[in-house]
Amino acid sequence: MGTIKSSSSGLQFHIHPLVLINISDHATRVRANKVGQATNHRVLGCLLGQQSGRVVDISNSLEINYHIGEHGVVIDEAYLTKKQDQYKQTFPKLDTVGWYSTGSDVDEGDMQIHKMIMNFNESPVFLLLDPNMNRTHKDLPVSLFESELHVIDGVSQSIFVQSKYTIETSEAERIGINQIAKVLPRGNDKGTDQLTAHYTSLHAAIKMLHDRLFVLHALLRKMMSGETPYDHALIRQAASLVRQLPAIRAASFHQSFSVDFNDAMLTVFLSGITNGIEAVNEIVEKVSLAFDSKSTRRRGML
Amino acid sequence: MAGSSSGQKRWELENSVQTVEGSDAYYVYDAAEQQALQQQKPWTKDPHYFKHVRISALALLKMAMHAKSGGNLEIMGMLYGKVQDDAFIVVDAFALPVEGTETRVNAQAEAYEYMVDFNESTKVVGRLENMVGWYHSHPGYGCWLSGIDVSTQSIQQQYQEPFLAIVVDPHRTIAAGKVEIGAFRTYPEHYKPPDEPPSEYQTIPLSKIEDFGVHCKSYYSLDITFFKSSIDAGLLDLLWAKYWVNTLASSPLLSTRDLTAGQIKDIAEKLEACEGQVAHSGRMGRYTGAGAGDKKPSGADQQLHKICCDANKLALEHIKGVSSQVIKDLLFNRSIVPTQQPPAQATPMES
Repeated sequence: MGTIKSSSSGLQFHIHPLVLINISDHATRVRANKVGQATNHRVLGCLLGQQSGRVVDISNSLEINYHIGEHGVVIDEAYLTKKQDQYKQTFPKLDTVGWYSTGSDVDEGDMQIHKMIMNFNESPVFLLLDPNMNRTHKDLPVSLFESELHVIDGVSQSIFVQSKYTIETSEAERIGINQIAKVLPRGNDKGTDQLTAHYTSLHAAIKMLHDRLFVLHALLRKMMSGETPYDHALIRQAASLVRQLPAIRAASFHQSFSVDFNDAMLTVFLSGITNGIEAVNEIVEKVSLAFDSKSTRRRGML
Repeated sequence: MAGSSSGQKRWELENSVQTVEGSDAYYVYDAAEQQALQQQKPWTKDPHYFKHVRISALALLKMAMHAKSGGNLEIMGMLYGKVQDDAFIVVDAFALPVEGTETRVNAQAEAYEYMVDFNESTKVVGRLENMVGWYHSHPGYGCWLSGIDVSTQSIQQQYQEPFLAIVVDPHRTIAAGKVEIGAFRTYPEHYKPPDEPPSEYQTIPLSKIEDFGVHCKSYYSLDITFFKSSIDAGLLDLLWAKYWVNTLASSPLLSTRDLTAGQIKDIAEKLEACEGQVAHSGRMGRYTGAGAGDKKPSGADQQLHKICCDANKLALEHIKGVSSQVIKDLLFNRSIVPTQQPPAQATPMES
């Protein structure tokens, strides 16, 4: 396809990790169960999500059945429609927003598939995931494309343009991913372990923030000393970032923060008291057991 | 970026992650082998035959998200997978268009139709596994089987073996910062389970305790582990570099207000119920305690201990929540609140 331009539609794409895991699972199982055939069996699927305004939220996906016909890939449309109906019943808010494929690069035939998907959504997106990812590569092996109508050599034709995306997680999704990424065994549920896990992930996140700030700082220093060319746009961004701190200065925030803090501490305190009560109860029990004969005697005398 | 890889590596070392290549074998489906197992039915010999459940990353994510999307309503869905020795391998899950309330999730006729239809259609795209169970959610009241769940599950175990029940609690998932999930199988009707110590204690609201108590002996829970494919592993590594911001941005305290209030109320109610009993047994103890000489704590003590566990758990969640808030405050607001220091985390946390 040659060089691919970047998109000018201004749409924002949010991809949920579930979609990526779903595609990876689809690819893995096709690969695992078709041992005899080509190892690079390509999988296709349909992306589901919601569009609100300029933001497209891609949160789920379903698989597409296809076969290679005379003119390339032929999608089983009846199957796709049926699957879409099924998903619609369970997730009524999700619509078809595009399609996905595994592969390392955009293919000639991809535009043809893209046009077939246009029957379901007039401006679909195309997500390409490379399952043979390079471990040293630091970015996700995922690229997102939109199609745009361009006039090339006097003929108007659709071409793929690359779009930017961000990874979006819902709270439940984040926890789920955290759990799998770390493979926490369920057995060690102890309080201290949970706390440690929480602090470890928090620490890792802060370290990440620190690393990024460090890189930025180093870059700014180099710019100052003239080692790297002065990038005005970047400096402006950095300046606005710095100016945002401290994040919230309002007294009302401070107050509600204290209230929240005290509430939490009160809960901890109450829990401490409950523990104390249990301990006291145990002592009372033991004492009454130890001095039981005496007390009954005294009682008898009364 | 360097932080991501070293952080990941430390986790993997600490948690002894399974070798990635080995786990890809879970994705291979051998129809003949499963067929043979289906005929041998090794699970009929021992009611306690299945002991482990291995859940794929995909299935876990799908269940967690589906459960969360249901809010306070119970949702349900089916599990795809296979059987390997004494373990269920759950590779995928799909949602059913059914919603229930309280402890009453039950698939209706149309759901069955949907189920069969769905099952047929997924075979086409390389999902060869069969249904091996169902999952549903208990929003806010823990992972266990209610009376209705027990009867649903035991019917399925009679006609649909091998079959597994999984329960997810979306509310507690958010509060605890880990997916609250339980896997269960019921015992045959007249089976007397060995008197085993109750597995891991969990908080059950007072209103549900009766339902729990009546049926808790008619099923057992299975040990759950998770696995991921090699592609998953690579993706998850890289994903961390993208979503670490969410870890910082999340605030479990704010999103679980209702649950917290409910839990405190529940502890208060339980304490009140316990109070009378403790006073009573305390007085009785003088007369009976020494004579019997038994070391077993009385019912009231045990109850008090359970309440303590509940309280500890709640406190732990709060410490987690508030400490992340304080850390964030220190990071981003430091210049205005220099006095607010994180308190020493020295609360009684033996649970």
